[in-house]
Amino acid sequence: MISQDVKDQFTAIVDPTRWLDKKEQLTCYAYDAFVEESMPDAVIFPETTREVSQILALASAHKIPVTGRGAGTSVCGAPVPLHHGLVICFSKMDRIIEINTRDRYIIVEPGVVNADVQAALAPYGFFFPPDPGSMNSATIGGNIAQNAGGPRCLKYGVTLDYILSLEVVLASGKVITFGSKNIKDVTGYKLAALFCGSEGTLGLVTKATLKVVPLPETVKTIMATFKDLDDTAKAVTDIIGSGILPAAMELMDKLTLNAIEDKAGLGLDREAAGTLLIEVDGVAEACDKQIKQISEKLVANNAVNIQEAGSAADRERLWTARRSAYGVFAKLAPDIISEDVTVPVSRVPEMVRRIIQIADKHNLRVGVLAHAGDGNMHPMIPADKSNTEEWSRVVAAFDDIFQAAADLDGTLSGEHGIGLAKSKYLHLVMNQDTIEFMKTIKQAVDPDGILNPGKFV
Amino acid sequence: MTDQPIQNCGKCGLCLSVCPVYQVLKQEQASPRARLQLIKAFEKKDLSASPMLKDLVSQCLMCGACKVACPSGINHYAKFMDMREQLAKSRPDPPAIRSLIYLLAKEYRLHMGAGLARIGRRLTPAAVEKKYKIGAIPVSRFPEMNRRPFRSTLPRVSPAKGSPGGHSRGNPIGHSTGNPRGRVIYFTGCATNYMFAETGQATVNILTRLGYEVVIPDGQTCCGIPMMFHGARNQAVENMAVNLTAIQGAMREKDDDTLENTRDAAAENCDAVDEAYDAATKNCNAVIVDCTTCGAALKDEYPELMNTPAGSRHAALIQKINPGMPETIAAKTRDILSFLHDHIDDLAAAMKPDTPAHKVIYHAPCHSKNSFNSLPKILDLLKALPCFDYIPVSDAAACCGGGGTFFYEYPDISQKMMAKKLASARAAGADYWLTDCPVCRINLHGSLSEKDNLNVAHPVTLISKGLGE
Repeated sequence: MISQDVKDQFTAIVDPTRWLDKKEQLTCYAYDAFVEESMPDAVIFPETTREVSQILALASAHKIPVTGRGAGTSVCGAPVPLHHGLVICFSKMDRIIEINTRDRYIIVEPGVVNADVQAALAPYGFFFPPDPGSMNSATIGGNIAQNAGGPRCLKYGVTLDYILSLEVVLASGKVITFGSKNIKDVTGYKLAALFCGSEGTLGLVTKATLKVVPLPETVKTIMATFKDLDDTAKAVTDIIGSGILPAAMELMDKLTLNAIEDKAGLGLDREAAGTLLIEVDGVAEACDKQIKQISEKLVANNAVNIQEAGSAADRERLWTARRSAYGVFAKLAPDIISEDVTVPVSRVPEMVRRIIQIADKHNLRVGVLAHAGDGNMHPMIPADKSNTEEWSRVVAAFDDIFQAAADLDGTLSGEHGIGLAKSKYLHLVMNQDTIEFMKTIKQAVDPDGILNPGKFV
Repeated sequence: MTDQPIQNCGKCGLCLSVCPVYQVLKQEQASPRARLQLIKAFEKKDLSASPMLKDLVSQCLMCGACKVACPSGINHYAKFMDMREQLAKSRPDPPAIRSLIYLLAKEYRLHMGAGLARIGRRLTPAAVEKKYKIGAIPVSRFPEMNRRPFRSTLPRVSPAKGSPGGHSRGNPIGHSTGNPRGRVIYFTGCATNYMFAETGQATVNILTRLGYEVVIPDGQTCCGIPMMFHGARNQAVENMAVNLTAIQGAMREKDDDTLENTRDAAAENCDAVDEAYDAATKNCNAVIVDCTTCGAALKDEYPELMNTPAGSRHAALIQKINPGMPETIAAKTRDILSFLHDHIDDLAAAMKPDTPAHKVIYHAPCHSKNSFNSLPKILDLLKALPCFDYIPVSDAAACCGGGGTFFYEYPDISQKMMAKKLASARAAGADYWLTDCPVCRINLHGSLSEKDNLNVAHPVTLISKGLGE
């Protein structure tokens, strides 16, 4: 609990309208898109770096746990305040400070929504590549904290690859800035890599300079269906393995596709055992050539139907449907667990087979969805958490899935992050010394452990 | 009723991006996802019916954008209405809202209230009108009431043949020469009846000119949506039953005998009922609304509501409605602009050669977008008809903050929503700001000032003028 005296000090930093501590209000900050929930003691909405700095200094002085939050669209529980305390919500720090396409960067506050960055850049003919499924709601601060990905990161890379410079407030309240406006910058440690993906355990980002890239001249999207899911996965390996690099390559199994079709009614082939949604971009001639090469590979792997999206509107409908995949699963059961184990792309067919075997073994339904081109699997299991017997099978199934990924030289998470969901599996992919090294860094930067306690480090 | 097989919020947060209130406040407790969580906490008794809970649940335009965007298929609309009803029991609305519900619940009260309002406006000194505000809107910028209710200004046509007593009769007005193209029922809504008579006149004129026989059912009253939104389900059910009976009466106009027989057959043979109803409703091409909120009620709410196990209080009213009738009416409900879109070529051809092309911008009301999905059709109309010189504005589909009584209850939020729209509307240099919702219309007009040379109107008024009245 936060005492009245301390509350008064917080509300001296920000206007009292930006401080919430009633139970009704707090109920709305206990969750993200993950299943676990935990109530904060208070929520505060800073509007400036100075306010964030003062808030953290005060929280440090009273050893109050602090959890950062953007739009709360994380799927691993990262912004869930497990140890209660204070949630710092950045949604009101939402200014776009500068767009400079001559030097190819944009400077934003953490509360700016990813889609708003895209909308602001589009008139200049530029874009910011990371495109998580939640991009219409998710904030850049959250994207950075989670090192967010998305379908087109196959070709373009993830959030970390687009950070030029960050302003970060440390637990002490000290404000540090690192990086610069330069694409090339090897001055000192590459600290962006430390904070990006740290899930708010090392510091809170208050300003970001992001690299932006020109929009491709042409974008083409094709959809291929297969009678066999194994063929679908082999086509992925075959295409990527032969040196073709599409912008995005999404795999959907029958359960996923039908759940999407129920919502979107796009006329997708409900009978297909596997579907690939593939996008190429670049100059028109190169796109045509790539589509031709990809189509040949698809046919060689027994694709039964290959269709190209006719218009930009058709393409947008397909991607909107794909982005709704997480939500549509909520129709199938009261709870849904979606993980994003990732394996080298050559192991994708094997990983798909193992996911299905594991679900069968535990008598569970599973939707196999994947940013397949980069091996980023999204097995989704719908279940009922209040059914303890069923839920224990869900937990056991994910134990097996993480083990399988580790066995195939994979990793726990490609883009969702560890959060509350996966800290117990860290040892599968990291040795004890490595885990200790992360703890050493955490201890040095946040000695009182006030930043997002109870998470992976 | 509201719980379809599975309605689980996956908490994905996609609704945040489409919720106009969240977009302004940027606080989770103002989001559809949060409201669902609050409802869940209330149901689990983690939260009581506190004033703050009521406020958080009420701070919503009921625009339905979340329902459309939700990948998990949640009917937020129904869930929020249920919750509002629950909360209204222990936390009554403020007196002004309760008075409105009281007025809307009975046509005679509304009639009297509108009359008094008109007199009141006459008696109010101009200075007071400018100074006092309802929500954020100065009283002087509120529309005047119609001198007489629109429906009462239309010529009454006697029924063609005798009818069994106790049923409302259709009141056909206007007809074409030669073979009529068809027959439509026009549900006028309260706003047209008491405030915006010219919308009604224009609608009737256009439909008649297109060759339709227009039937305005006697006995229709407020659609019931305002009561639903404020948790007064009992009154809403009553209004809905009254309206269904009135529209059913108008449908029966030409097939009384068939329908009477049907009722007898109903107990025995379902197929016979279906066939007879098909026949009986064939003489109605569409149930037309000029307000998409009324339309959303007819289309989306009436069929569900009539399935509510009503208390004895409504039994007699509901008994008058034939089985399947709410669904039939729902299926035939069309918003006037989408209906006109079906006749776009005829309308363009029928325009007077010297029709001036008015510079217009458009504002899309929430139920036009979210319930009727009519925006693309309306833009087609605005581009195709010679009476319009359409100027696109980028935020045509953004919410104006009207939202039934939202602009009155939450003027600060409402004004923030309006601010951006006003700026782009003023910059467009149009003569007309068109919209097909009476509340948006009040809100748009009320937010403009006398200096703005921008008329707010329903699109039908310019179409009607173009055709010649």
